[in-house]
Amino acid sequence: MKKGRGLALYCAGLYAFLYIPLAVMTVFSFNNAHRNVVWLGFTLKWYARLWKDADLMNAMLTSVELAAAAAAIAAVLGVLASYALTRHKNFHGREGYAALLDAPLMIPEVALGVGLLSFLVRAGFELNFGALACAHALICLPYSVGAARARLKSIGGERLEEAAMDLGASEWAAFVKVTLPLLAPAIVSGSLLAFTVSFEDFVTSFFLAGIGIVTLPIKIYAMMKFGVTPEINALSVVLLAATFILLGLNAWLAVRTGEATRL
Amino acid sequence: MKTLDRGLSWLLAGRRSAASHLLLSPAAAWLIVFLVLPALGLVALSLARNGAYGTVVWSLNLDNYQRAVDPRYVPVLLRTLAFAGATTALCLVLGYPLAYFLSFRAGRFRGALIIALMVPFWTSALVAFYSWMVILGKEGLLNTALLRFGFISAPLGILYTPFSVLLGLVYFYLPFTVLPLYGSLEKIPRSYVEAAYDLGAGRWTAFLKVTLPLSLPGVIAGALLTFIPCLGDFLTAELLGGPRYYLLGNLISNQFLMAQDWPFGAALTTLLLAGMIGGLWAYRRWEPDA
Repeated sequence: MKKGRGLALYCAGLYAFLYIPLAVMTVFSFNNAHRNVVWLGFTLKWYARLWKDADLMNAMLTSVELAAAAAAIAAVLGVLASYALTRHKNFHGREGYAALLDAPLMIPEVALGVGLLSFLVRAGFELNFGALACAHALICLPYSVGAARARLKSIGGERLEEAAMDLGASEWAAFVKVTLPLLAPAIVSGSLLAFTVSFEDFVTSFFLAGIGIVTLPIKIYAMMKFGVTPEINALSVVLLAATFILLGLNAWLAVRTGEATRL
Repeated sequence: MKTLDRGLSWLLAGRRSAASHLLLSPAAAWLIVFLVLPALGLVALSLARNGAYGTVVWSLNLDNYQRAVDPRYVPVLLRTLAFAGATTALCLVLGYPLAYFLSFRAGRFRGALIIALMVPFWTSALVAFYSWMVILGKEGLLNTALLRFGFISAPLGILYTPFSVLLGLVYFYLPFTVLPLYGSLEKIPRSYVEAAYDLGAGRWTAFLKVTLPLSLPGVIAGALLTFIPCLGDFLTAELLGGPRYYLLGNLISNQFLMAQDWPFGAALTTLLLAGMIGGLWAYRRWEPDA
């Protein structure tokens, strides 16, 4: 099976290509050298410096608040929309709604950024935290809709809800007592993905963050403009670790509920 | 309480289409206000004129579109098309063997390998590109290593070249190509390939005559899903290209943030969106099954 091994080796090489930047960054975030890329010993001082940087901590807090707000808005809008899309049979325009809900995935972020920028400014709105949260909710929406729709489809159609109603529950009571508890893991999982999308977003924030709103990716970008420093490595590893934790939680939920949410 | 219960139940039951539209209305309204209206606003803005000090003078003319095909900007458009095309071709060539491996050979590692393929996609591109800057820069990891081992005598200029932009694009878009490829390879009934073997075809003949033609829908889907987002890419050239290798996304961004010529930027964005929508529409029409 020599041929098969060649292919496997090639694929290993491709995976190495994908993971090299992440590995390099992680290694150098612990390197005790300020200016060069030669290993001069292990240190945690770059992380300690991050911890002491008040601006950075503020940026972190802004990003967490922004992601939480965006994920929450997307979760509410997404659950309502997904319920109608999966459970309701007699209405026109289902395809249209579904296409509209997927549109944020297709539109280039630059187009979205400059479109929202010119729209909000010309309509006289201030580019504040609220405006940015609304824009982030938009890019998060496909993920909460995707997770909720998949779960609503897989939890046994309407049969469970019908059983509850046969036993005398109203639609609302059946939803609260039966559907919602079954849907909850998908809401959490969709919200985790949405949170990740917002937390990492740079391009949309880049165009919409007025003066004074500094998210973590915007802060990283500003630091990058001053050149390559070990602090950025450490900060990037923090962002990377946050992503891994969020995706890990999502995978754990998927295993627990016995289904894979689309990544 | 009773009325509330009844109202909510009416909403959930969806026996009337009004209930469905009502449930969908918050999300739809959100998309209309924050996506559709801004897009239409850009189209309107693209027909306006740029006044003094970055103000907008409303008018109806196509001057901005004429400017977009001015010899000053045509190279950017062509470069964008060339980079998107080259990225797509490279991603297909590099990604096909991986998709094939995942579908036919990976066995019990398949799930883990697919997740591993998605992880770089989910990590921040900003962070990954920053790391590529550390690797490829003048005093970067690659140059330092090559100098130390005596392969070169002076650092190579790798960063801020077409090569680094292409590398960044391929790095970022590879999963976009591989997943549709994998999806279409998965759909090929294994019995077809076995039948080819039984009829005396060798490995390569079976691949070229059976597997490859049957995976063509995935090749086209993967190509489009790479090419179209590449056209609007902004971050790669911003970080790895430098001003000499700006792409359309960067030109648009400059019109809005630096040159303060919003109408021209809006015209460029409208062209980008029109190209993408045209591409997707053509794909939908061609697509045999979704």
